[in-house]
Amino acid sequence: MVKRIMRNKKAQMKIQQMAFMLIAVTLFFVFAGLFFAMIVFSDIRRAAEGLEERNALLLVSKLANSPEFACGNAFGSFRTNCIDSDKAMALKSNIEKYEDFKGNFWEIEGIEIRKIYPADYAKTECDSSNYPECGKITIVEKQGIGVSNFVALCRKENIEGFVEDRCEMARIVVYYE
Amino acid sequence: MGKKGQEEIVGFALIVIFVAIILLFLLVFYLRGQDREGIESYEVNSFIQSFLHYTTDCEDYFGGVEVRKLIFKCDDGIQCLDGRNSCDVLEETLKEITRESWPFGPERPIKGYELKIITNNKEILGLYEGNQTNNFRGAMQDFTIAPDSLEVSFRAYYD
Repeated sequence: MVKRIMRNKKAQMKIQQMAFMLIAVTLFFVFAGLFFAMIVFSDIRRAAEGLEERNALLLVSKLANSPEFACGNAFGSFRTNCIDSDKAMALKSNIEKYEDFKGNFWEIEGIEIRKIYPADYAKTECDSSNYPECGKITIVEKQGIGVSNFVALCRKENIEGFVEDRCEMARIVVYYE
Repeated sequence: MGKKGQEEIVGFALIVIFVAIILLFLLVFYLRGQDREGIESYEVNSFIQSFLHYTTDCEDYFGGVEVRKLIFKCDDGIQCLDGRNSCDVLEETLKEITRESWPFGPERPIKGYELKIITNNKEILGLYEGNQTNNFRGAMQDFTIAPDSLEVSFRAYYD
């Protein structure tokens, strides 16, 4: 009788050991699964972050590289992310023609070009009287959320009868709803 | 027998906990390692493209020299018309441009940056400002004006 009770206890112990072993194995696989999931999801998160930034900036670059702004081949070779500031000034003074065209030509809430360097006249709005000694060209009055990207702001300059290309650092800011 | 069984269970539980802790450590180290790789940034790429076209105040016979051309002048040891060292002008110009474009500091999201220019496997300019963190965005551009090759890389370090 005593022997049987002892055997039962030993068997119970074995079952308990087995249960713990199963828990341990399950835990191990859960951790291994989590580890694997983290690898997969962290890559997805990084990719999503990159895509989000890329999409917002592509919208800005698309605008900067549109014929109304782009330098094209006017400064020697074809340049991307380059804005012709003479074109931008011409556009600023004729913007009402674009606003008449289907309400909003670019379907955005604002366009602004801000000079970063040299920053001498950073806060001065450009008009025909002070251009190019100014730092901001507001083409469409701003509203909403702004996304910006770096551009080279280039113009032709007449120096003692010689025409020279001059490029400065700027940011184009596009505002949308 | 009862005591022996309890000891075995405690020992086994300890092993399980130990293994779980090791796995957690591995997970933490892996995730930290991930951040160190950084993200390829379209904005940084645009920044590099834009400053390469910037017209510096170093002049040659055709007028102000672009940063892109000034890098090769610096590499070849050619001076500006006014006698200044092209490498000094290049460093000064890029320092100013980078400072204005990527303002950094403890109260800002950007903690620091590094700009490197390498021509023909030789570093001709290295600008390092602020703190380097594990979280960064960067881009690299290389191009060739035969026979020289040029590699420009920039990294902005975030919180």
